[in-house]
Amino acid sequence: MQNPNSIVNLFSQAAFEVNGKTFQNLGPSTVIASLGMDSVAIMELIGYLEEQLGLRLPDEELANVHTLADLEKLIQHIQTRPPP
Amino acid sequence: MPATRFLAKPYKTLVEAIQSFKAKPSTAFCFVRPDGSEREFSWNGLYEEIISRAAQLKAAGLHKGERLLLVLPEGEDFVPTFFGALWAGIVPVPVYPPMSLGKLNSYVETLAAIMAGAKPKYVCTPKKLESLLWPALARSPSIQGVLSAEMLRAPPAEPMEKPENILPEDICFLQFTSGSTAVPKGVVLSHANLLANCKAIMVDSLHCRKGDVAVSWLPLYHDMGLIGFVISTAVYEVPSVLFPTTSFIRNPGLWLELIHRKRGTLSFAPNFAYALLHKRLRPEALQRFDLSCMRVFGCGSEPINPHTLRAFVSKLAPTKLAPKAMLPCYGMAEHSLAISFVGKDEEVRTDIIDKASYESKQLASPPADGAETLEFVNCGKAFPGHEMAIFNAQGKRLEERHIGEVWLKGPSVACGYFENPQATEATFGGGWLRTGDLGYLAGGEIYITGRCKDLVIIHGRNYDPQRLEWALDELEEIRQGNVVAFSRPGPHSEELVVVAESRSLDKEKLAAQVSQHLNAEFQLACADVVIVPPGTLPKTSSGKLQRQKTRERYLKGSLLAAQAPQPPPEALPQTPWERSLALLYKANAYSLKAAKHALEIRSLADAKQKLKQARDHAFERAAHWLSRK
Repeated sequence: MQNPNSIVNLFSQAAFEVNGKTFQNLGPSTVIASLGMDSVAIMELIGYLEEQLGLRLPDEELANVHTLADLEKLIQHIQTRPPP
Repeated sequence: MPATRFLAKPYKTLVEAIQSFKAKPSTAFCFVRPDGSEREFSWNGLYEEIISRAAQLKAAGLHKGERLLLVLPEGEDFVPTFFGALWAGIVPVPVYPPMSLGKLNSYVETLAAIMAGAKPKYVCTPKKLESLLWPALARSPSIQGVLSAEMLRAPPAEPMEKPENILPEDICFLQFTSGSTAVPKGVVLSHANLLANCKAIMVDSLHCRKGDVAVSWLPLYHDMGLIGFVISTAVYEVPSVLFPTTSFIRNPGLWLELIHRKRGTLSFAPNFAYALLHKRLRPEALQRFDLSCMRVFGCGSEPINPHTLRAFVSKLAPTKLAPKAMLPCYGMAEHSLAISFVGKDEEVRTDIIDKASYESKQLASPPADGAETLEFVNCGKAFPGHEMAIFNAQGKRLEERHIGEVWLKGPSVACGYFENPQATEATFGGGWLRTGDLGYLAGGEIYITGRCKDLVIIHGRNYDPQRLEWALDELEEIRQGNVVAFSRPGPHSEELVVVAESRSLDKEKLAAQVSQHLNAEFQLACADVVIVPPGTLPKTSSGKLQRQKTRERYLKGSLLAAQAPQPPPEALPQTPWERSLALLYKANAYSLKAAKHALEIRSLADAKQKLKQARDHAFERAAHWLSRK
C-alpha cells in the first residue's frame, strides 16, 4: 500500500485535477519533462500542489527540479526551512 | 462626461519621457510580489531610482551603446534598471529568467545563443539566479561579469542627474524574438520606433485618458509586456499594476481579482490566457468581481480563436464585463509591438468566407449557400502614418480579399536584426517589413490566416496547418495541442504528414483514426501519420510547437532521437556506401548526446566521465553494427 502523501500520489492527483490526465507507471525517478506537459500545464500543476500543501515553491529552485524525487526533496526542504 | 483623451506626447526620445517623471507624486507602478505584498513607486520615486541605477551601471564601466543582459524576474528590479540603462545610453537586452521545471538545459542553450548575438558586456541578475546562468555565461566571450540586482538597489555615491546625450535614431534596446527558429535574432528598436508605436497604441487605438489603470501579468522580457505595459504606460503616465506571470499561471483568478480591486481599465494577453481563465474559473468565484471598469481586454500575439473569446465573454457576464472590451489585435516584435487593433467600442467581428475558394484560389470570398466556410477574426486597420499591404510570392501587390503575405511600412518598423545584415535584408529589405504572416485585407481591415512558411500546399490547395491540428484535437486519444501537420515532397507532389503525441498503445488504430478524421473534415489524404510518445514534439521556450523543426526531424528520420537511442533497424544497409552513411548518421546522433552531457558537467572529472560514457556508447553501437555486417 502506497503512502497517500507520497510525491507520486500527490503528483498523480494534481495532474488529474489540473489536466484531467492519468499517468501510468509514475515513480520517484520519473523525469517530469518527459511527461509531455507544456510549461503552462506544469506551472498550473505546481500551483495546485502548493495550494494543497499550503506552501510556495520558489521559481528559481524549481529550475533545478527534474524528477519527482527532486520535487519531493524541494517540498521537504521548504516545509522544514524556517520562515524568513 | 467621459474624461478627455490624451494627445500625442512631443518627446523625441524615451529619456525625455523619463525626465518628465520628476517631481510628480502620483502612482506610477504597483508591483505585486509572489507572496501578495505590494510595492508602489510614484513617478518621482521611479525617477530617483532610475538615476540612481544609471549611476551604478556607469560606475560598473558600461558605456553608451554597450549591451547589458537583464535576467530580472522581479518587476521592481526590472523596470528601474531598464530605464536606468536607457538614461545612461546603455542598451538593455531583456531575457526570460530560468523558471520552467526541468528545462534548464534548453534554457542554457537559448541564453548562450542570445549572448552570441547580442555580445553583452555584463549580465544583471539577482544572486539567487546567478549559479543557474553560469553554464551559459562561461560560453560567452563578451561577458565581463555579473552585476547583482542587490548591488544595483544600493544608493550610488552620486546619482546620474544629467542623462547621456541620446538621439531619436539611437538604439534603445534589443528585443530577442521568442524563437520558433533555431538562432534567436535581436530586433533593434530605436527611440523613434518605440515612441511611434506607443502613440499608435495609447492615443490612436486605445484612446487613453486620465483615470486609466493598466493591469498585467505579461512577462517583462516579452514585447507585449515590456512595450505595452512598461514603456507605453510610462510614456503616457498611465499607472500600471504588474504581477508575476508565474503567479497568474498558478492562480489565473488573480488577474480578475487585481482588475476588480485596482479598478483596472486596460489589460492584454495571448489567446491561451483567456482559454486558461475560462477553464479554471468556477462560476461562483466570479460573483464577487465587478469588472464594469474594464475598457480593453486585448488579445494578440498568437492565432486568435473566435470561440475562445466568445466563451470568455459569456462566462464573465456576471462580472458586468462589457463585451466590447474584447479587443483582437495583431502585432510582432519586428514592428516594435503593435500592428493593428480593431476599433475601440466594437464587439469582436469575424469574416466568414468560402472554404473552397480559400483553399484552391487563395481568395477570401463570401460563401455560396450551403457551402463549407472558414471564420477569421478581424484585427483592424493600419495605424495613422503606417501602411499595411498584401503581396504574393512574386512580390506583386494584391487587391483586397486576395490572400498573400502581409507587408508593413512606417515609423514602427524596427531598424533590423542586430549585427545580422543577411537576416535584416531578407526581412526588412526593399522598404517593406515582410511579416511572414498570411492574410487578406477587406475594407482596409486585416484578417490573418496563417504563417507563410508553415503553409501546407497539397494538390495546389492551401491548408493552414493550425486548422488541421485544431480538428485533430477532437480525437480523444490525441494529446490536445500536441499535433503537428506539414507537407513532405512526394513522388508527384507534396503530401500531408501528421505527427501526433499520444499514450495510446494501439498506434495503428489511432493513425487510421487520424487519417479518417482529416479525410472527413478536409477531404485530405494523409501520406503518413506518426504517433509519438508525449514530450517528443519540439517546442519553443514559450511552449509553441515548432512545425519546421518537427518537419526537419521527420525528414531526417530523427523524430525520436531526442527521446532515446533507437535499436538498429533489422534490415541492414546493402552497399558499403550506405553502411558508411548509416554509421555517420549514428555518430552524429551520439555527438549530440555528448554535447548534451557537456552541458551538465559541474567539474573536469565529471566532464571526463560523461565524455567517456558517450564515447563508449558510440563505440558499442558501432561495434554492434559492424558485427552484424
